[in-house]
Amino acid sequence: MMTDLILVLVVLTNLKLLGSSRLGSSIRVVAAQGVMLGLLPILVHVHELSLHFAALAAGTVALKGVVFPWLLFRALREAEVTREVEPYVGYITSILIGLAALATSFWLGGRLPVSTGEPASLLVPSALFSIFVGLFLIVARKRAVNQVLGFLVMENGIYTFGVGVVAELPFLVELGVLLDAFVAVFVMGIAIYHINREFDHIEVNRLDQLKG
Amino acid sequence: MKHEALLWVLVLVPAVTGALSLLLRSARTILGVMCAGVGISLALGWYVAGKVLMSGPVSAGGEWLYLDALSAYNLGVMLLNYGLSSAYASVYFGVELREGRLTLHQARLFAGLWCGAMAAMTLVFISNNLGIMWVGIEATTLLTGFLICVHVTGESLEAMWKYILICSVGVAFAFMGTLLVGASAHGLGLSAPEVLLWTKLQAHAGSLNPICLKAAFIFLLVGYGTKAGLAPMHHWLPDAHSQAPAPVSAIFSGITLNTALYCVMRYVPIVEAGTGNTGWGLRLLTGFGLISILVAAVFVLLQHDLKRLLAYSSVEHIGIIALGVGLGGLGTFAALFHTLNHSLCKTLAFFGAGRLGQIFGTHDMRKLAGAIRVAPVWGMGLFGSLLALIGVAPFAVFMSELQILKAALDGRAILALVLFLFGAGVVFMGILGHAIPLAWGKTTSTVQPARAGILETLLVVVPLMFLLVLGIWMPEPLQTALNAAADVIHHVNPVLAGSSGGVMP
Repeated sequence: MMTDLILVLVVLTNLKLLGSSRLGSSIRVVAAQGVMLGLLPILVHVHELSLHFAALAAGTVALKGVVFPWLLFRALREAEVTREVEPYVGYITSILIGLAALATSFWLGGRLPVSTGEPASLLVPSALFSIFVGLFLIVARKRAVNQVLGFLVMENGIYTFGVGVVAELPFLVELGVLLDAFVAVFVMGIAIYHINREFDHIEVNRLDQLKG
Repeated sequence: MKHEALLWVLVLVPAVTGALSLLLRSARTILGVMCAGVGISLALGWYVAGKVLMSGPVSAGGEWLYLDALSAYNLGVMLLNYGLSSAYASVYFGVELREGRLTLHQARLFAGLWCGAMAAMTLVFISNNLGIMWVGIEATTLLTGFLICVHVTGESLEAMWKYILICSVGVAFAFMGTLLVGASAHGLGLSAPEVLLWTKLQAHAGSLNPICLKAAFIFLLVGYGTKAGLAPMHHWLPDAHSQAPAPVSAIFSGITLNTALYCVMRYVPIVEAGTGNTGWGLRLLTGFGLISILVAAVFVLLQHDLKRLLAYSSVEHIGIIALGVGLGGLGTFAALFHTLNHSLCKTLAFFGAGRLGQIFGTHDMRKLAGAIRVAPVWGMGLFGSLLALIGVAPFAVFMSELQILKAALDGRAILALVLFLFGAGVVFMGILGHAIPLAWGKTTSTVQPARAGILETLLVVVPLMFLLVLGIWMPEPLQTALNAAADVIHHVNPVLAGSSGGVMP
């Protein structure tokens, strides 16, 4: 039951991201989504709870709920420009595209023969939906911080899929993946800082010197 | 026992070298230590790879580390290029040091990331666990990102941002594919530590869920293909290659692209066996290969920047390697041979482009005209490598491309044959049209002629001789290695393999 609730909330947070016009609130929404997903492994494996899942959940919550938002808010503060999202695609259109993506996710999720074990049939569709939304945010928003957020949402989708479908993943692999995500956001944060210093802004559409 | 321990040492040596170079206080010492560390890795790695090729796979750490013919061959190629590129880096940055354009901080950053990336790539080759292999690729992406902007400029930052973002997204796709492969093994009773082991999956390939496996391969091909620079996912590549310092461009083109493509090759036998040897995965690979060749052919014609030209040529050659693997049979053998030829050739070309860029102060080919008169050694090196790249006989690239053509004929893949010939023909004309004025044209600038030292001359002569000799005569050990490596890829695929396929030890 709790699993379904979390997955519905993940879908709703994704829709919220598509319609959100403030970078600060977007960062908070992604953080909330990360914390909810961090709790997912405990809930999915509530009958066979082990140190492994507890450690994974703690690590995920700490990274996605605390460290990433802190890094992103810092990048935003360094940039000190307007905190608008500045979309290429308008908010209403974004949400409509999001709804279409949601329908597609349910259709695809029904066709993919993966055994989720639990009755939580929402797992695969919501994972796919997060991946779609993440990709959309990367291509449809101008601000570098927003692209990082898109990357994180996509990463969240893949994580949902991993927890629900491939529960047997070795601990070391999960650790490596978490570490990579951390370094990725860290690196992107530094990159934003440099870009900001060089260009006095962090709009990706001004990064257009290299063509052909 | 001894060789098993060596697998650990192979990752440790570059990692320790990288850490050490962060502590040193002189840029020259840092470059020296870096070369020494890479040299030790090269010797150790070749020793282990040789052992594996002679007496079968080695595994360590509860089967998590594993080196078979395919990975040993690729590891050998990677180390050879890393060795050459490190020697070149000491020359290239030596010049910048003399001109006072490289600070101690930048030298530390460069050496640390350079060695770190080497450790990550070694991990990719020696890990049997497909999840750890993925971790290695992602680590490579993140470590090499900052190598693009050792010198921070607007353009290099733009290139780095595109590189990190596009490749991270691509590599995330590859992770989704890895998860789907794990999901396809559901119900086989593999325990958690075993579920992503390549050897286990390979042994059970026939009973994996085919639909999951197909979805997985699409994700893997798009994901690792992004990192490998297959079109249409190649958009980061020309920017990153043109903006990075020349030694970094050399390892990008000569090594990281191959490493990502190696990951795809790893999955080919599993996917083929899992989908009933119908050649489904191979056809996808062929398609991506052909698209890359054609896209590169169009863009090569439009370039004026030498390093961008070389970058598009990399897209073409990665396409050719994918095409070779996709055709199967002799094609697999030729694709692996082409991997070696292309890396050698492309690293040399970037060496030349980098030094000429330092001498002329530009990479615009119109301003580099008459390069041979100004800098005879590097001008000849660049011209020779460009000729080799477009497949002029008797260089080795010509031989491997000929073998891929033969594989296409054998497999009656006439459309592939025609498109390949057309694309390669356009690239041939396009690059030759740039190369001749570049080498022999009238000098437009007033640049002082530059002399090259012994090390620089060696860096030009050795790869060129290698390419020339391999084009005329293939040594027995190399042939054995290539056959053994090709067997790993297509031994479960007798339908398309032509031959009855090899036996994996």
